[in-house]
Amino acid sequence: MTETLLLGRRAVREVARYPEATIPTLFIPLFFLAVNIGQVSKTFPSTTSFLHGQGYVAFQLPVSLMFAVATATSGLALVTEIDNGYFDKLLVAPIRRSSIILGRLAADLVRGIGAAAFVLLAGLAFGAHVESGVAGALVIVLLSALFGVAYAGFAILVALRTRNVQATNTSFLLFFPLLFLTPNFVPFERLTPVMETLARLNPVSYVIVGLRSLVIDGWDAGKLAVCLAVTVGMGAVLVALSLRAIATYDR
Amino acid sequence: MSSTNHGPAIEARALRRTFKGGIEAVRDIELTVAGGEVFGFLGPNGAGKTTTVRMLCTLLPPTSGAARVAGADVVADPALVRRRIGVALQEIGLDPVQTGRELLELQCGLYGLAGRRARARADELLELVGLSDAASRRIKTYSGGMKRRLDLASALVHSPEVLFLDEPTTGLDPASRLTVWDEVRRINATGTTVFLTTQYLEEADKLCDRLAIIDGGRIVAEGTPERLKADMGHDVVSVSLNGADPAATQGALGDLPGLERVIAQTGALALYLEDGAASIAEIVRRLDREGLEVGAISVARPSLDDVFLQATGRRLVEGEEEREREEVAVP
Repeated sequence: MTETLLLGRRAVREVARYPEATIPTLFIPLFFLAVNIGQVSKTFPSTTSFLHGQGYVAFQLPVSLMFAVATATSGLALVTEIDNGYFDKLLVAPIRRSSIILGRLAADLVRGIGAAAFVLLAGLAFGAHVESGVAGALVIVLLSALFGVAYAGFAILVALRTRNVQATNTSFLLFFPLLFLTPNFVPFERLTPVMETLARLNPVSYVIVGLRSLVIDGWDAGKLAVCLAVTVGMGAVLVALSLRAIATYDR
Repeated sequence: MSSTNHGPAIEARALRRTFKGGIEAVRDIELTVAGGEVFGFLGPNGAGKTTTVRMLCTLLPPTSGAARVAGADVVADPALVRRRIGVALQEIGLDPVQTGRELLELQCGLYGLAGRRARARADELLELVGLSDAASRRIKTYSGGMKRRLDLASALVHSPEVLFLDEPTTGLDPASRLTVWDEVRRINATGTTVFLTTQYLEEADKLCDRLAIIDGGRIVAEGTPERLKADMGHDVVSVSLNGADPAATQGALGDLPGLERVIAQTGALALYLEDGAASIAEIVRRLDREGLEVGAISVARPSLDDVFLQATGRRLVEGEEEREREEVAVP
């Protein structure tokens, strides 16, 4: 546990000292938020039934939150350390290999909380309000950050398997289809049948729906439970695969 | 860390590593390094030095064979090996975003030293490697020599029984190289066994109590530097063929008085003689008599490069002669 905390603290320090790695990951969600609102606000005015009286920004906010927290930063940091030799230094220390991954994920949680809070505040500044109140806003931030940790597990897995900076960097591209084959612009029932089927098969849809429910509907236990289950489930699988990858690294 | 090992510091038996595609990086090497030694592993790039170190450090499992380091088996008990060794690999393993002090304090933490003890140990090591003034600077601002010294310090936080240094001076300027040598001597003087890989003859010669020469994954010679060189003979006379026929040249010089051995290499002959300087005139006379026009002839004491040449048929350092040569122009 101590080694995880030590390595986590180091990774958090790295985030703070390397803002050029974080700032671009915040620019993209804000850009999407601004552009999407600008383009479809008139198409979906606040009188639109699924907006429950809010502006379209409230509907789009969860998608931007996903963008903000799903970054390959940890994977890139790890593959850079594989390249520069520091990873070997950690492997040869008398610590559990899992602590190297868990330390990185701890930093992802901290980074995710910061990024989600920032984007949420930006959404509020654009006119959204969180129907579930301050407590709901905190849950939004935490759930988003947890999703970021789950995604980080994927980036770390790619880093360990490929040991290649380019491959790890482009792993983000795999996230795009998952984010867009969702009810990201309109609810499930307004999608075409094919898109609706694909969206309903995509677990990321339920994360967006859960977060969106906190913004637009208030407290919806059913949607939140599914959102939490999907996030934790994805995280458990991806982190377990990462831990297995480091356990068998050069073995 | 107190020593619990009373046997050899390092012992390898038939240690082998084969990579995917059948590449045999290390082939059944046998090694015994006594506690307190500075043991050198000399060889060119790709000889198997780093693969051997990685196996001994538990970073890479052997394909077959066995090894014990600091009294523990590298396969059966890798965690114990890791607690007892320090490692500075060829790639300087540092996190450039941290400061020197932060890196050492983290390293202390990973080896179970926390709080005030970690700070004190970090300060002590920074002082030892002459980086106290740069301790609060981020590592990315360090020079290559400073990074190497910090890497060395980070391998010492837990006072390891055995210290592995994989090409610790590669890429360093001569002044930084000498500093690292001094550090290695100082560390060894405290009782730490040092296993050092290098491709530098001078480094192996000046720093190591004993060394093994590795080539193509096999140990081809082993002993003290003095013994290995002494076994080569008294003097070595190098004759640059400069286009002259190698067989004819060797034929002309093959029965020189005091000749101990001849080794042919690409474009040159190495003649090992009892008295090199006194033989020069006779060599020139014979070549002249046979009408063989050669290039430069030089005489020197045998070096580890000659040991390498004897063992492998080629020189370790192409185009770079590390010994003082007395060159004689041939008319």
